[in-house]
Amino acid sequence: MGSQFVLIVSASIFCIGATGFLIRKNPLVMFMSLELMLNAVNFLLIGYSHFLKSLDGQIFALVVMTVAAAEVVVGLGIILTIFRTRHELNVDEIDALKG
Amino acid sequence: MEIVNDFVYQAAIIIIGLTAVCASLGVILCSSPIYSALYLIGNMVCLAMLYLLYHAEFIAAVQMIVYAGAVMILFLFIIALLGGKKELQENSLQRTIAFGFAGLLFGELLLAATVGATKPIEGIFDPINLKVIGGAKAIGLTLYSKHLIPFELASILLLVATIGVICLAKFPLKQIKKSLNS
Repeated sequence: MGSQFVLIVSASIFCIGATGFLIRKNPLVMFMSLELMLNAVNFLLIGYSHFLKSLDGQIFALVVMTVAAAEVVVGLGIILTIFRTRHELNVDEIDALKG
Repeated sequence: MEIVNDFVYQAAIIIIGLTAVCASLGVILCSSPIYSALYLIGNMVCLAMLYLLYHAEFIAAVQMIVYAGAVMILFLFIIALLGGKKELQENSLQRTIAFGFAGLLFGELLLAATVGATKPIEGIFDPINLKVIGGAKAIGLTLYSKHLIPFELASILLLVATIGVICLAKFPLKQIKKSLNS
């Protein structure tokens, strides 16, 4: 029961995050969906570190948190720069790199 | 007494897990980004409570400080700066395809989670170590001995991210605009 519940909750949150990343047009909300997916993976790591009685999963979750923090900082900086140059926040409109 | 305690423990885990799933639904369904951010904070607090219930006290504290504190404050600042405009959500073909893809992914993950679990998982630690798992001391000892290289690499990653953001913010804007217009 216990480990299966962790798997199901984590899979639900991950899939909801993936859906949010695909259906939303605001880059900020897309970033929040990305955070949801990372959080789902963290939850799975910590749940299994509890069931396997090992600390490696918690260390991994710590590393994932570091990566997420760095990624959010860089991503929000990029969003801010895009907004300063183009004054709009719709991912469909941002296509300057398109060939 | 033991049975009642175990039942309460399991019920708390299930209720908080369902709340986390509902909060994550709120993140992607709210039109206004500020509500999405608030729902995301709710989701992170629920996950921190689950970490506490799974005896990962240190990670729960880090989750609250780093995620629900620092990262979400950053998000709220950016929303306040850019103006959280409501987003029109219309149905389109791409949206239907996205829902179909996510549903398929969820079905596959569910299948992988429920089918094939024939053997109960076993711990590799002895019961004496079980008591201290999750505390700051145990995590610190493991982090500085067995996982020293990932720890140092994480610090380098944070340094690189800091330098990158400073470069992004200090970049002269006129040059970008000129190259966009030409």
